[in-house]
Amino acid sequence: MIKRKKVWQYGFLILASVFSVFPLYWMAVSATNRSAEVIGGRMLPGGYLLENIKNLLAAQNVGRGMFNSLKYSVILTLISLVICSLAGYGFEIYHDRMKDSVMSLLLLAMMVPFAATMIPLYQMFSGFHLLNTTLGFILPTLSTPFLIMMFRQSARSFPHDILEAARLEGLNELQIFFRMFVPTMRSTYAAAMTITFMNAWNSYLWPKVIMQDTSSMTMPMLVANLTEGYVTDYGMLMLAVLLCTIPTIVIFFILQKSFAEGITGAVK
Amino acid sequence: MMKKKRIVAMLTAAAIAVSLTGCGTSASDGTSAASGGGNQGESGTADENTLTVWCWDPAFNIRAIETAGKLYQKDHPDFNLQIIETPWEDVQTKLTTAATSGNLDTLPDILLMQDNAFQKNVISYPDAFLDLSSSGIDFSEFSQAKVAYSTVDGKNYGVPFDNGAVIAAYRTDILEMAGYTIEDFTDITWSEYLEKGRVVLEKTGLPLLTCKGNESDVAAMMLQSAGASFFDENGEPDMADNEALKEVVSTYAELVKAGVMVEVNDWDQYIGSMTNGSVAGTINGCWIMASIQTAEDQAGKWEITNIPRLDNVPGATNYSNNGGSSWAITTNCKNKELAQDFMAETFAGSTELYEEILPATGALTCYLPAADSPVYSEPQKFYNGQSVFTLITDYAAQTPGNHTGVYYYEAKDAIAVAITNVVAGGDPDRELKNAEDTVNFVMGK
Repeated sequence: MIKRKKVWQYGFLILASVFSVFPLYWMAVSATNRSAEVIGGRMLPGGYLLENIKNLLAAQNVGRGMFNSLKYSVILTLISLVICSLAGYGFEIYHDRMKDSVMSLLLLAMMVPFAATMIPLYQMFSGFHLLNTTLGFILPTLSTPFLIMMFRQSARSFPHDILEAARLEGLNELQIFFRMFVPTMRSTYAAAMTITFMNAWNSYLWPKVIMQDTSSMTMPMLVANLTEGYVTDYGMLMLAVLLCTIPTIVIFFILQKSFAEGITGAVK
Repeated sequence: MMKKKRIVAMLTAAAIAVSLTGCGTSASDGTSAASGGGNQGESGTADENTLTVWCWDPAFNIRAIETAGKLYQKDHPDFNLQIIETPWEDVQTKLTTAATSGNLDTLPDILLMQDNAFQKNVISYPDAFLDLSSSGIDFSEFSQAKVAYSTVDGKNYGVPFDNGAVIAAYRTDILEMAGYTIEDFTDITWSEYLEKGRVVLEKTGLPLLTCKGNESDVAAMMLQSAGASFFDENGEPDMADNEALKEVVSTYAELVKAGVMVEVNDWDQYIGSMTNGSVAGTINGCWIMASIQTAEDQAGKWEITNIPRLDNVPGATNYSNNGGSSWAITTNCKNKELAQDFMAETFAGSTELYEEILPATGALTCYLPAADSPVYSEPQKFYNGQSVFTLITDYAAQTPGNHTGVYYYEAKDAIAVAITNVVAGGDPDRELKNAEDTVNFVMGK
């Protein structure tokens, strides 16, 4: 009886995973096929991978794009984690009425779509001479209400006994944060890191507005370059998309376990 | 122990700070090295002899302007081009952001603009573009339909480049099975097209034409072939009582109902229908040839001719235009004389340039003197020995111009909706009225 139920469960899950895995499979397989074969709907790996690699390298400066994307994303992720976790921790541990209302204000800011703030931001950044710079890329999303809220939520489950004990032991407040809070919240950090890195890596609208120079372009911008034109080489395009996906896939798989824990809550 | 950790923490913080500033400067260093130090809020380059260009498509536009740059360098050895590959959508976004925020100084010296968006951008951001009327460029040497796209209030803002003349391309082997040749589809009307299409469908099972559903490209091409537009001369929407448009919509619906034209869902399917041989022909801007030619196994089977004309509309022709682009010089350009002279001596004055880029890119000229070049009359194997390039430049010269205005894209979208509804059985008059109301609404009326 139980077995039959399992069969249904697995059957359903397999079917569902086919829908989510198939596009990835198709992307990987298409990277090894000719453009005409991709349009023709070929589902099997082909022998055109080397040719696609050669074409892609000739068409776009992929090394530069990868390097830029990695640089922007890693720097943004690291700094953003420090700032947002400090902020989230502060909002929860030292909270009073004023801080709560500041927090609600921050959450309100989450509702404002980026397109609405883009033009004033551009005006500011152009005035500060930050176009085409790393700082220009990372500043607007350095601290996000979402991350602050996430860290605040997890700080809520941080036992106050630990705080008291640490204070009695003579640790100052910063030391408590770095030595007690950070190690306990490792999985929250992992989840936050995955989310921030993915967002930074995939961000398109802002970089496309401020990065006006060939040498500062990111991977998603290179992929967009490939789709523009009277003829699209789909094999090459899929290869570029595949390359563009790999870093986020790697990060996700490394942090997969902590990611699930971090989303559901760090302290058991 | 404590001290050690504190030192470590401080070192880490210092490292982050240093790496941040380090990256900041290295990025801007890279920038200045690449563009001659001009990018910090003044994209128009500091170097007197370098022009910055935004354009897209390495195989087409970029190759063309690179060739132009090399030609110009022969007489001007100091001249340099700094080309920044930017997809059209991004050119539009960057332009909108820069112009709306009042930072025109972040624009490049030259940018490539889709013809359909040209008037919109010039009217919306009048300070951004240089009036080229008295620049020494002779605009009468271009096809007039093309020049009209970049003309606002009688002033020329663009140097026509990419030709969008519409062609009808047919698979002659499929036509033959139905007992037709390419001549049977030359200089015909849409009702003849429909009639012959029925025969082809019956004998071969294939439609004559595919198009992307929910898009009004085919309708817009039909409309322009009669010199008509979605707007009147004053830029007011003209749809509900537009006789030409009414005929376009009913013709379109008949084609779909008869199965002579099949609507597909997306661009990839559209290209696929031609390369897979599941359609007997196509009607689009001549740039579609680049996609047709990817089907190498069909070489020699395709031939091109002009498109059908509307039956009952005065001024109807067999020629139209779809897509294409023109070069614009921005007001931010630091060396306007150089930019104008560069354009005048290459895209607006060099037959040699067009001779060189045609075989390499398939980029067809709108510069009429170039059409007399022997390179243009060379027979093309893929098109069964036709001199397609001479044919197309001839089509371009006969194409009537029309007025695109600021809201051309919005109008096209509204008409796409109307057409979809009419094909599904809606009343044409009511749907066109709705479309006009939609555009009026977008225009804030």
